[in-house]
Amino acid sequence: MSRREGSLEDPQADSSISPLPHLESKIQQTHSLARLLTKYAEQLLQEYVQHQGDPFGLPGFSPPRLPVADLSAPAPGHAGLPVPERLRLDEAALAALPPLLDVVRRRQAELNPRALRLLRRLEDAARQARALGAAVEAVLAALGAETRGPRPEPNAIAAATVTAGVFPAKVLGLRVCGLYREWVSRTEADLGQLAPGGPA
Amino acid sequence: MPAGRPGPAAQSARRPPPLLPLLLLCVLGAPQAGSGADTAVISPQDPTLLIGSSLQATCSVHGDPPGATAEGLYWTLNGHRLPPELSRMLNASTLALALANLNGSRQQSGDNLVCHARDGSILAGSCLYVGLPPEKPFNISCWSKNMKDLTCRWTPGARGETFLHTNYSLKYKLRWYGQDNTCEEYHTVGPHSCHIPKDLALFTPYEIWVEATNRLGSARSDVLTLDILDVVTTDPPPEVHVSRVGGLEDQLSVRWVSPPALKDFLFQAKYQIRYRVEDSVDWKVVDDVSNQTSCRLAGLKPGTVYFVQVRCNPFGIYGSKKAGIWSEWSHPTAASTPRSERPGPGGGACEPRGGEPSSGPVRRELKQFLGWLKKHAYCSNLSFRLYDQWRAWMQKSHKTRNQDEGILSSGRRGAARGKGGPGGWAGRETRAPPGGRRPRALHPQP
Repeated sequence: MSRREGSLEDPQADSSISPLPHLESKIQQTHSLARLLTKYAEQLLQEYVQHQGDPFGLPGFSPPRLPVADLSAPAPGHAGLPVPERLRLDEAALAALPPLLDVVRRRQAELNPRALRLLRRLEDAARQARALGAAVEAVLAALGAETRGPRPEPNAIAAATVTAGVFPAKVLGLRVCGLYREWVSRTEADLGQLAPGGPA
Repeated sequence: MPAGRPGPAAQSARRPPPLLPLLLLCVLGAPQAGSGADTAVISPQDPTLLIGSSLQATCSVHGDPPGATAEGLYWTLNGHRLPPELSRMLNASTLALALANLNGSRQQSGDNLVCHARDGSILAGSCLYVGLPPEKPFNISCWSKNMKDLTCRWTPGARGETFLHTNYSLKYKLRWYGQDNTCEEYHTVGPHSCHIPKDLALFTPYEIWVEATNRLGSARSDVLTLDILDVVTTDPPPEVHVSRVGGLEDQLSVRWVSPPALKDFLFQAKYQIRYRVEDSVDWKVVDDVSNQTSCRLAGLKPGTVYFVQVRCNPFGIYGSKKAGIWSEWSHPTAASTPRSERPGPGGGACEPRGGEPSSGPVRRELKQFLGWLKKHAYCSNLSFRLYDQWRAWMQKSHKTRNQDEGILSSGRRGAARGKGGPGGWAGRETRAPPGGRRPRALHPQP
């Protein structure tokens, strides 16, 4: 992710109006970042299914929703939680995604070594998730809300290697890319609740 | 899609898939009941097969939920449902599949063979790798632009498409000693190329070869032996300029600068020029340019736009006997010959500038004649410059006559008029070239 993407400015801001308060500015910037990354996450998902072959890209394809260690999809009741709690869950998910995306990238480097754009998108996604997670953490700190604090390193990566079939690896990659898209989109929606002009 | 016939007890995987150090299922949590995760197993997992071979596969249900059977299960391959006649139930919990005459894999990540429950949900999957072993790479060629690096490219095996990811590795070693080295910078000048940036020795031969490897085998090219000094090339000559030669309608002058890298390596260079008419695709090549940095193209069509390119070949580097490698052609430079009412001939060779000897047959004979004249007729003023002046004068004269009389002249009046004709030739009747072509060979008079 370029620095330009991480420091967005509102192109419609009128210079004659006094600068936004620091918190509102931070929220707005993070919201804009989340919106941009939602678009990138969608592109990543499209690129991913293209390289796995059918049926991965076919409408109605419904592989088993394999559980992923340290991460699950946003719960159905997520939207009903208070905004700070939602943002805490967003931040935790964004922190769990980078190592998973790295695993997927390494596996795809073996399965699709010539899919350079896919590999680059997976690498970018890991960086983008870290950046967005850090920005959400900063918003929570500015709100005076508690963050989750230091969390243990995911031990899934440090676990003993397990031989896995190619098809399950493809399905897992699809699951991780899908989770990335869900959580980035969820973060955008949750920040939209706080951004100026959004619902209180 | 494979042929849809139940085969006999056919061979299954030709070779078990290579064991890859994977770090994957550990990121999966424990399968939950009812999640549909791995409630069946396909065997074999991820087989590698030759094109045209057969496959026997099975889908065995785990029995979760209890009582699950193979009844109603079906197969898909790359999203397409396979005909039911290819399947049969081996027992209550196992559905078998027989595929024959397999086609090459549709994607390099493997064809997706999936076992489905009656309701269409996915129970298990396996990826098939169907392809061919690599053939021997060939046609390795290498070049060095500055005698410090080496770039090589090759052609993959004759059949090309293996349907499997095939890895190409360029290897090199000093011929008489040293260990094998592997090139690391691939795809620098195309998909089958590699660049070795440093640590190369001069005055000693290298052995270079390419190894191709995929899941079905490997192949190695023949070994190419070379000395870096023998494969040197340069950038194209810069600053190529093409201009008219006074009023001469069938000539253009080409000038260029020798590539700057030549200055550092104490070697000579030879050049080639090619040119074509603007609306033609046929290039004419002038080979005999030697180490000049200028050339005059003759015998061109008047009033015509020509595109010209120049390239360079360094040779004699540090005493090497071998020619180097031709550079790329310079960017095309265009110029037009002056307009003439009479069409001129096509084709030509590199002509001399200002009285220098030429290799063209007519001018060669003319040179001989002039030499004879100087020796026997004391015509010290004779030279190619005078000849060119005469030709330009002749062309002007023809224009003037055409304006006066409206007819083409055979040029009989030519220099015999004595109006601005070359000295030493006055009074002698000459036949101007018909149609404005190059002068006919002049035979020496005793």
